[in-house]
Amino acid sequence: MSKTPDFDPFGLARGWMSQWEKLVNEHGTELLAKPEAAQAMQAMTGAAMQLQAASQETSAKLLAAANLPSRADFEALGARLGAIEATLARIEASLRTVAPDAAPPRPPVARTRKPPAA
Amino acid sequence: MASAVAGSAPSAVERAIQRNLKGLGYLASSAPVLGASPKDVVLSRGPLRLYHYHPLTDEVYRVPVLLVMATTNRGYIFDMVPGQSLVEFLLLRGYDVFMADWEAPRPEDRALGMKDYVEDFVGGSVAEVQRITGEDDVSLVGYCMGGVLSVLWSGLNHAKGPKNLAVFTTPVDFHQMTMFKAWSDQRYFDVDRLVDTLGLAPAEMLLTAFDMLRPAGRISANFALLDNLWNDEFVKGHRMFDRWSNDMLPLAGEYFRETTKQLVWDNALMEGRMKVGGRLVELDKVKAPFLHVTAEHDHIVTTGASAPLLGLIGSEDKEQVVLKGGHVSLIAGPNAVKRMWPKLDMWLSEKSV
Repeated sequence: MSKTPDFDPFGLARGWMSQWEKLVNEHGTELLAKPEAAQAMQAMTGAAMQLQAASQETSAKLLAAANLPSRADFEALGARLGAIEATLARIEASLRTVAPDAAPPRPPVARTRKPPAA
Repeated sequence: MASAVAGSAPSAVERAIQRNLKGLGYLASSAPVLGASPKDVVLSRGPLRLYHYHPLTDEVYRVPVLLVMATTNRGYIFDMVPGQSLVEFLLLRGYDVFMADWEAPRPEDRALGMKDYVEDFVGGSVAEVQRITGEDDVSLVGYCMGGVLSVLWSGLNHAKGPKNLAVFTTPVDFHQMTMFKAWSDQRYFDVDRLVDTLGLAPAEMLLTAFDMLRPAGRISANFALLDNLWNDEFVKGHRMFDRWSNDMLPLAGEYFRETTKQLVWDNALMEGRMKVGGRLVELDKVKAPFLHVTAEHDHIVTTGASAPLLGLIGSEDKEQVVLKGGHVSLIAGPNAVKRMWPKLDMWLSEKSV
């Protein structure tokens, strides 16, 4: 009994894509591992950082001129909130040692389980 | 040939229709809810969130399990959806499960360094698990950089140590991570300037670096999605993993600086010279039973980078298992359900009483 072979138009593209992926991954990683690639990448990162630093400086000046809080001000506020949270956590931990929770939220489970026999 | 085409045309047409219909559904529907196993946040410190999952059995093993997530990604990879959640699997097998997960560090967290992550976050989580459960013994289970943090903490605290130490795809010989080594070449990469300027190592930079390990990966993944739009299971899996892999976290600046200098440039962990907070990490003094599970096709942490860890750990009871799969499919998805999870349960259950 003869079986009708499957015809799948996507199958052609699948085969082509698989080959392309293999090729690009192989050659791409080979290329990206070269020192020149690292140099180019880091040069781009450096330029982006310079741009960011310059834009941060300009924004800070503009915000100061408009009498608005800057990113640094918000970061400082965030740091203060973080410090308050940490203090609260310490107080909570100290209170727990003095007055443990009267009623645990869930009943404790028995820690007696044994592995199933092999 | 003509009869072959005519014979299979109906199924090809059917799939094409399904692709279009489900493609529209894909664009219109919301992504699946991930990381939804019931839990309490029992410790919140900087970027650390320590979860305690609600037990699903009346009786649990004596020794609790603390999962330590990689610092670049979200912990819901361990808790995708019901039926594809390592957390749920462990809970159903009778473990008391905790997870040290990470939020994005805030700008004021820029000064957090390796000592904070190892001693304060991993060590603090262990102490909290001990307090909540009333047990001195804790099993540590770390993934990727979470594995590195677990190993570092164990190497600093070998006297008390974890009861059991299991890590997945954990690098130790960073000079074998050739792409990362090339990109962080000291001649061109000024990590001090980056950290001093930006404060945090941006998530976009890290995502680009991971993407460049497989330059064609993103395009071929999208093609595979188009090809399989008719297949609900494939689409569901794609959405979960795509969301997770794009949901990268920035890293605290000092932590990134120390990782780059000590681990990548100096290869200090491999060479036995790694210090955290001025204290030497002594892997040869770790005595806890040790399991290292690595993936056969891991393109991020290659075998060369992960395999030497077994030889550095001092434990007598130690084992390395290489399973089929990649860096992510080792721990989540159908491959993990079939291979890694049962292996972990088998190894851990007898050591958790």
